[in-house]
Amino acid sequence: MTQQQTAATAARTPLAATGADPRIRVRGLGKHYGALEVFRNIDFDVGAREIVAIVGPSGCGKTTLLRCIDGLLPHDAGEIMVGNERVTEPIAGVAMVFQHFGLFPWKTVTENVAYGLRMAGAPKAEIERKVPEFIKLVGLAGFEKAYPYQMSGGMQQRCGLARALAIEPNVLLMDEPFAAVDAQTREILQFELIRIWEERPTAMIFVTHSIEEAVLLGHRVIVLKGRPSSIHEIIEIDLPNPRTRETLRLPRFAELRERVWNTLMREAREAEFILER
Amino acid sequence: MLNTTLRRHAPFWLSLIAGIALWEIAGRSTSAAFMVPFSATLVKLWQLIQTREFLNQLLDSAILFSTGFVLALAVGMPVGMLLARVRVLRVGTEPYIMVLYATPMVALIPFILSIMGFGFVPKVLVVFLFAVFPVLYNTVEGARSIKPELIEVAKSYRSSEWALWREVMLPYTLPYAMTGVRQAIGRALVGMIAAEFFLSSTGLGQLIMTASQNFDTGGVYASILLIGLIGVALMRLGLKIEQHFARWRQ
Repeated sequence: MTQQQTAATAARTPLAATGADPRIRVRGLGKHYGALEVFRNIDFDVGAREIVAIVGPSGCGKTTLLRCIDGLLPHDAGEIMVGNERVTEPIAGVAMVFQHFGLFPWKTVTENVAYGLRMAGAPKAEIERKVPEFIKLVGLAGFEKAYPYQMSGGMQQRCGLARALAIEPNVLLMDEPFAAVDAQTREILQFELIRIWEERPTAMIFVTHSIEEAVLLGHRVIVLKGRPSSIHEIIEIDLPNPRTRETLRLPRFAELRERVWNTLMREAREAEFILER
Repeated sequence: MLNTTLRRHAPFWLSLIAGIALWEIAGRSTSAAFMVPFSATLVKLWQLIQTREFLNQLLDSAILFSTGFVLALAVGMPVGMLLARVRVLRVGTEPYIMVLYATPMVALIPFILSIMGFGFVPKVLVVFLFAVFPVLYNTVEGARSIKPELIEVAKSYRSSEWALWREVMLPYTLPYAMTGVRQAIGRALVGMIAAEFFLSSTGLGQLIMTASQNFDTGGVYASILLIGLIGVALMRLGLKIEQHFARWRQ
């Protein structure tokens, strides 16, 4: 397995935790939609303080994979372990941030952020203490009473992030969270996410179709390929942490981005080749 | 400012005044047996609402209306959401709901009369049947249009089925259901008068019947005007409630 390339660099690097005590373990995972096989033989781990980015062409099943890990979709081969729990339905301590934000339009920012806590059965005092804290953390202070329709996409996703973070998950699943916001907002939110993660590190799986985003955020990048898709390569991103705007200018960043790009494009050219034949 | 407001509302008030004027002229130039002028109708209405009998009749009608109407809400909304959530039930009941929604309920009154007689219960049933279908229909349509993504979010946060109803289905569906509720107000009023005409004669329906039998055209007009005004007031109230529940929509 390519993931064995994983080598701890500095003590600061979360990779150190990966081998010893993975928070998420995915083994031999497979999934069909009827006769269509989406992916097969998916094996990887995510450390307790690690960000793993998953990239792949659209339709490769990365979102499906994430939904399986969240327990929203059943898988039909292999197993998913989060901590000591086998995933068959959504489990406590795992929070998902959705591409479509998934905010309840009839709830204000405060009510949306409180939702996860309330579903988790948190006592009222705890909710009243935590909700403002997380609204502040994501930079939405002053918008407590706003409804989703009154906010920009970027602000809505901040709210979605606060709702996920408020339950203080030890696993964060990010399903192309910044795909629906404009380019500038996206960049701002990426660095916001890094800042927040540095404050409260968790195991994180970040699904994206942006190579740059995957390399910027991920400590490792998983490339999904093929139909049915499987893991083509796991690339270790040995950039210094925490990632900043400076990171984008490092030669190593460009190299790694090229490497992921080549991996993906080789796949695309192969597909074209097959089609032409 | 004042000018534009005036201009915008002018057609409404002008039309209203013209209608009243027409009514007044028509009333004055025809026999009192056919038509009573607007002014005389207002005088009659004023006299009417001061009688004790009228208050009893109004109370009678109000009790009938609200019992049937509240029952229609209490049945229509939960059943509507249940039908939206459980496909088997929805598909199974669809033909009946469609037929009953399309059937003029007045046609069922003789049938209800022959089975249940003249009591309070059959009258409530008539009001209920008039009102329940718009509520049910709009609730089902509303609850069905809920985005599956939001249900998924609820599941991801480990919502129980009960919490899913309370936190997601109900608040989402309420504005849609309220559209049905507004329609139901109008239909329940029709049902109320129909029940009071065709089953045991009570309430405002009886008021109209009695006035009509006594050739008291003024009394008939006054009662009709009153029922119309009550209807308009209730619809306005319904709209306000609908807007309250829909304030999260753009």
